[in-house]
Amino acid sequence: MDPKWNEDQPIYRQLRDRVVAMILEGVLADGDALPSVRNVAAEYRLNPLTVLKGYQELVDEGLVEKKRGRGMFVNDGARTQLLKDERERFLNKEWPKVRATIERLGLDPVQLLESPVSKAAGDKNND
Amino acid sequence: MTSLVTASGVSKHFGAVRAVDNVSFDIEKGRILGLIGPNGAGKTTLLKALLGLTECDGDLSVLGLDPFRQRKKLMQQICFIADVAVLPRWIKVSQALDFVEAIHPNFTRSRAEELLKQTKVQPGAKVKELSKGMVTQLHLSIIMAIDAKLLVLDEPTLGLDILFRKEFYANLLNDYFDEERTILITTHQVEEIENLLTDIMFINDGKILLDSTMDELGETYIEVMTSGENAQKARGLGPVAEAEMFGKSVMLFEGVSREHLEGFGEIRIPSVADLFVAKIKEARR
Repeated sequence: MDPKWNEDQPIYRQLRDRVVAMILEGVLADGDALPSVRNVAAEYRLNPLTVLKGYQELVDEGLVEKKRGRGMFVNDGARTQLLKDERERFLNKEWPKVRATIERLGLDPVQLLESPVSKAAGDKNND
Repeated sequence: MTSLVTASGVSKHFGAVRAVDNVSFDIEKGRILGLIGPNGAGKTTLLKALLGLTECDGDLSVLGLDPFRQRKKLMQQICFIADVAVLPRWIKVSQALDFVEAIHPNFTRSRAEELLKQTKVQPGAKVKELSKGMVTQLHLSIIMAIDAKLLVLDEPTLGLDILFRKEFYANLLNDYFDEERTILITTHQVEEIENLLTDIMFINDGKILLDSTMDELGETYIEVMTSGENAQKARGLGPVAEAEMFGKSVMLFEGVSREHLEGFGEIRIPSVADLFVAKIKEARR
């Protein structure tokens, strides 16, 4: 598969984001090994240094650990930490905007919860 | 000093034509350098000078050797794929391996045979019976079995279909490249290799227009998509190139910080192809 890289971020950053998404989605679980730098480089035809730089970001964030001679592994609690960070980010950055929109449109909580989309989402969660 | 190649004031004239015109640069160990230029820019002449296949003026050192005068010694430590087919059409694959084995001290035959097993190239086949893609696979199998410090690829994937091209670079990264080796690639298909490179050099009319690491490139050149009043302000900062797209202006800046530009619109990383076009236009002004 060929990934589509976008033009507004350096590739190492996009690589980092992809691994983060995989951890959040549970594709990569605690203790799982990341694909080797060489494999990722060959598969996506990227410079190995680019891949290493992306992985290094994850190490710096404490999500991934480098084991000498064995490769990179997802740290215990990485998903929990990411979820916490993502929730905080949503509450601090996105929620104020959403809330402002809700207020501007004069919607009340009952209307929001009874809208067809959120009802569907709610039903799904109850399954 | 980790420089593998040092060129200082290198020139090559063919009569009045300056194919390579007073160029200076360094190539360090463990890098993948892309040499990009239009037809007739002097790429192949420069490569020939590096490989000691042509004499040139100025100071040129490859692996600490003078390539033209110490070519024999140099050839033991480097390998290359030329942009023209060099294998004779009548030779059998196994004979080609015999030949390289006999002349190259750093060639491991079993390695080449192992690589060829992954392809459809049969040891008993003659070169004239192989498709263009298979000839390239044969070339690649031979050079990847040579323990060399510098690998030079001149338009290695020219005329190959997309599958072969992808496989070619994947093999190179998977089975060959490491921090002890250095690769120099020339190509027209910049998009295909730009993410592979650590360094890039633009050449036009025998002169170097740009010589940079890819990291520096990302910091130095920034594209902004902007419109209206913001476009006016951004234009004041002196973009090196500007284009209209869907009523918006796309401006390319050199050496203006990202923070500075962020307020004017959407920031993008320019493609190497776009940069190349901008640099060529700039040189012609």
